[in-house]
Amino acid sequence: MREKKTTKKYHSQNKAYLYLLPAITVAALFYWYPSLKSIVESFLTVNQSGKILGFAGLDNYRRLFSDPAFINSLKVSLTFIALFVPANTFITLLAASLTRRPSRLSFIPEYIFFAPVAVSLSAYSLLMRDIFRGQASVLNNLLGTTFSGITSAAGAMAVLVVLGIFLDFGLDYILLICAFRSIDSSVVEAARMDGAGGWRLYWLVEVPMIKDTVLVTVFLALKDAILISAPIIILTEGGPFRSTETVMFYYYTEAFRSGNRGVQNALAALVLTLAALIMTIYTTYKKIKEER
Amino acid sequence: MKKTIITALILLLSLLPVLAMGNSEKNSEVTEVVIWHSAQGSNSDVFDSLIEEFNNTVGKDQNIHVESIYQGKANDVLTKVNAASGTSSLPDIAMMDATAATDMNASEYLVTIDALGVDTSKILESGLSSYTSEKGLLALPFNASALLYYYNKTLYDSLGLTAPRTIADMAYVASKTGLKDSNGKLTRAGFIGIPTTFELSTFIGAQNGISFMLDNRNGHDGGATKAIFKEEGTYKTFLQEWKKVFDTGFYSTATSGTTEEFTSGRAAAFLASSSKLATIINSAEGFEVGVAAVPMVNENATGGTVISGGALFAFTDNSAVKTVLEYLISADVQALWSEGTGYVPVNTDTYNTESYKAFLKENPLYSVASDSLLSSNPNMTNVWVPSAYSIYYSFQTNILNFLNGTDVDTTVSEMESIINSAIKTYRDQNK
Amino acid sequence: MKKVQRKPFDTFRFIMRKILLVLLAAIVLFPVFYMISSSLFSASDFNNLRLLPSHPVWENYTKALNQKYFIRYMFNSIGTSLITAFLRTAIVILAAFAFTHLRFRGKSIVFAALVLTLFIPQEAILYQNYRTVAGMGLLDTWAGIISTSLFSAAQMLLLMGSFKIQGKEIYDAARIDGASDPKYILSILIPLSGPAILTVGIQTLIVSFNSYLWPLLVTNKNSSRTIQIGMTMLGFSESGQLGPQMATLVIVTVPFLLFLALAKKKIETTLIRR
Repeated sequence: MREKKTTKKYHSQNKAYLYLLPAITVAALFYWYPSLKSIVESFLTVNQSGKILGFAGLDNYRRLFSDPAFINSLKVSLTFIALFVPANTFITLLAASLTRRPSRLSFIPEYIFFAPVAVSLSAYSLLMRDIFRGQASVLNNLLGTTFSGITSAAGAMAVLVVLGIFLDFGLDYILLICAFRSIDSSVVEAARMDGAGGWRLYWLVEVPMIKDTVLVTVFLALKDAILISAPIIILTEGGPFRSTETVMFYYYTEAFRSGNRGVQNALAALVLTLAALIMTIYTTYKKIKEER
Repeated sequence: MKKTIITALILLLSLLPVLAMGNSEKNSEVTEVVIWHSAQGSNSDVFDSLIEEFNNTVGKDQNIHVESIYQGKANDVLTKVNAASGTSSLPDIAMMDATAATDMNASEYLVTIDALGVDTSKILESGLSSYTSEKGLLALPFNASALLYYYNKTLYDSLGLTAPRTIADMAYVASKTGLKDSNGKLTRAGFIGIPTTFELSTFIGAQNGISFMLDNRNGHDGGATKAIFKEEGTYKTFLQEWKKVFDTGFYSTATSGTTEEFTSGRAAAFLASSSKLATIINSAEGFEVGVAAVPMVNENATGGTVISGGALFAFTDNSAVKTVLEYLISADVQALWSEGTGYVPVNTDTYNTESYKAFLKENPLYSVASDSLLSSNPNMTNVWVPSAYSIYYSFQTNILNFLNGTDVDTTVSEMESIINSAIKTYRDQNK
Repeated sequence: MKKVQRKPFDTFRFIMRKILLVLLAAIVLFPVFYMISSSLFSASDFNNLRLLPSHPVWENYTKALNQKYFIRYMFNSIGTSLITAFLRTAIVILAAFAFTHLRFRGKSIVFAALVLTLFIPQEAILYQNYRTVAGMGLLDTWAGIISTSLFSAAQMLLLMGSFKIQGKEIYDAARIDGASDPKYILSILIPLSGPAILTVGIQTLIVSFNSYLWPLLVTNKNSSRTIQIGMTMLGFSESGQLGPQMATLVIVTVPFLLFLALAKKKIETTLIRR
C-alpha cells in the first residue's frame, strides 16, 4: 500500500512538468526572458543591430530623462491618467447603476452597454478619428458646438479620453452589472424595511457591497491608461504638437522607428518596475481584505 | 464531448501546415522583388497599375515578379524598415522620403544606387542632389514633388483676386477670402495649416538666392552638426512675415484634416505637396481648384522651390532590383505616374514626350509644380536631420507658440536648441 | 400617508433616471450607429457632415468586399484567433490541472513564476519579443502572430478556481477505475467545468481577433496581415473614400455584435455565479 503511494507520487512528479511544459515554455520565451533581457540591457550600451558594446551604468536612464520628448510624454501620460481613470469609473458606474435593477425591458440598455465589447480597438479608433475630425465634424454639426476635435492639443487629449472610455466601457460594465446583480437581495430588502431608500440605499448599502469590483475596474483602467499606445497610432500619431504622445507611444517610436536600443531598454525596465509595484500594491490590498 | 475534442484536434493538426505559410508561394525560376510603398488612395492604385504593367511585360520576359505592399504613410514605412533591418522581412525596395535619409545613410543594409549601377543620367539634377550624401546616391528619386499653394479659384475669381506672390500678399488675400459669422467664429479660413520642416526647407532655403537650415548643406555632406538658421536670421525673417497672415484673424492653425477643410470649401487656401493634386481636384466640392508656386518670403527669397517627395531605397544588390528601378524611372512610366497623381516627372526625357506635352496642355495645373521646380536653384535641398519626425512636430509647436505671443528671438533660439540637441544625441550614439 | 407624500418626488427622480439612461445609451451607441450609417455615405456626404446618407451607396460594400486582400485578411484573422483560442485554452487547462490535481516538487516556485507573468505587461517588452519572433524567422507567419498570446495566468487562475470545486475525490475514483490523466481531463474535468472553459475560449477568441499592435508589428505582407491591420491600411481614407472603409468596419463588427446578443445571457450567468 505504502509502496504504491510513493511510486504514484514519483510518477506524478514527472507528469506534472509534462502538463506544465507548454505554459512554462511560453512564459519563459515571451515573459521571463524578454523582461530580464530588457532590465540587464538597460545598463549596457547596445548598438542598433543588437551588439553589446560595453557597460553603460546609468547612462541610458540619464539619456532618457534628459530627452524633452520623454519628459513631455510623462506629462501627457499623467494628464491622461488623471482624466481617464476618474471619468471612466464615473461613466461605467453610472451606466451600471442606472440598469442595476432587472426589469422586463432592461435587456435593451444592457445590450447597448455590452455592445462596445464587440467593437475592436482599430474600429473605434478609426471611428473617433472621423467623428472628431476637426471643427467641421458631424458631431459639431449635430450639436451646434465648435469642439476642435483632434486638431488642437486639448481637443486631441479629450478625444483620446473618450476613445479610452469606449475601449474599456463594455468589459467594465459587464463586471459592474454582474456585481450589482450578485448582491444578496435579502440585504437590500432588509435595508429597505429599515426605511432606507433611493440615494441612501444606493450609497450606504449597494455601493459598499460592490466596492471590490469597482476597485478592479479602477485598476484595469489605471493599467490601460499607463500602457495606452495602439489607439494613438491610429488616432493622432502623437500629435498635434506632441499633445498625445504618451510614454508607451514614445516607447513604440523610439524602439521601432528610431531604433534607439538604450532608451528603449531603460524605459521598458522602468515600466516593468512600475507595473510590478502597482500589482503588488493591488494584491497586497486584496490579501489584507481577504484575511480580515 | 470526447469526440468533439478529438475532431477539433484533428482539425487543428490539419491546419498546422498553414502556420508555416507565408513564404511558400515562391517559384524557383522567378526572382521576387518586394517593394514597400506609401502611396495612398488613388495614388496607390496608380502605383499598383504600374507594377502590374511591369509584371506583364518586362517582368514576364526577364522572370521577375514584383510585389508592391502598402505599409502606411512614409513614416510608417520607415518604422517598418527600421524594425525589419537584420531580419528576413526587409524588402528589396522601399519608398521613403527625406525623413528617412539620416537613418538610411547610417544603415548597413542599404545598397546605394551607385552600387547597383542604375543609369541616372536622365534624372533631374535637383532630385539627385536631394538624395546624395558623402556615400553617394542613397536613393533613386521616384515620386518627386514640389510644395504648391492651393486655392479656391472660383472664390478668388469672384473677388477679383489672384494667387499671392509673397507671404505679405498671402496675408492680404487671406483677409479678403476669410469669413466670420455674427459671433466672430471663423466659418471660412483665408488660409489653413502650420508650416513645418517640409515647407520651411523652401521658405528658408529660397532666401537670399539660396540658404540652408543646417550646416554641411542641410546635412547632406557627412551629416549636420548644428542648425544655422539662427545666425543667418532666415527663420526669424520667415516668422515675422508669417505672423502677418496670422494677424489677419482669418488664419486657422489646424494641422490635420487640412485637405478636407480645403476640398469642402471651409478653407480658401493651403499649402500642400503637388502629389495631392489629383486627389484634391477629384474631391473638391463645387469649386474649381487653382494652384500656384509657393509664395516668396520676401523679395529677396529668389531661390524658388525645394524638390521634395520620395525616393526608392534599395536593400538588395541584384540585377532584378536594378531592372525594376530603371523601369520605374523610365520616361513613359514617369509620365503615367505624373498624370495619375500630380508628382513631378523625375526623368527629363518625360517632358519631351508628345503624350506628356499633350497631357500638360489639357491639364495646365499639372505643369505648375514642374515649372516651379525647373526654374529653381537646383542646389537648394531638403533637410536631413536625425529624429526627423520629432523635429517635424517641434517646428509646428514652435511656430504655434510664436503665433500665440512668444517673442520671436526666444522662438528661434528654442528651435535651434531642440535641433542641436537632437543632432548631438544622434552623433553621440553613432560615433 | 408618508408614501403618498413622497410620490411626486419619486416620479421626478424616476423620469430623470430614465432621461439619463436614454442619453447615456445614445452616446454609447453613437459610434456604432455612425459606423453603419456612414458605411452608406457617398464622398460628399462625408464632406457635408451628414448624419444619414443622402442616398444609400451600396457600392461601398461591394468595394469593401472586392478589395484585393479583404478575404485574405479575414481568413488570417479567423484562422489565427481560432488557433490561439484553442491552443491557449488547452495550455491553460493542462497547467490548471497540474496545479490543482497533482503534487510535485517545486510546485510553489513554478506557480509563483507563472503568476509573475501577470505583472509583466507585454506592451513593455514589445521590442524584445519582436526580436525573438524575428530571430525565429516567424515574421509574416501565423505562428508569429499567435506565439506571444498562448498563455494567460489570469485564465489559469480562473480555471484553477473552477477545477478545485470538482474536488479530488472524482479524480481519485477515476484513477482507481483505471482512467488515465488525458482520459480524465477529456471526459470528466472539461465537461464538468464547461462554462468556465467556454468563457476562457470566447474571451481569447475576441481578444485575439481584435488585437492590433502585435499583428501590426509582425506582419509586413498583404498575405499575412489580419483584418484589424488591413482595415486601417485599406488606403481608402486619403482619397475621400471613407465609405468603403466604414463598410469594412461594419462587415467585421456586426457578426460580433450578433454573437454577443446570443452569448450575453451565458456570460452573465457565468459571471454572476462565479
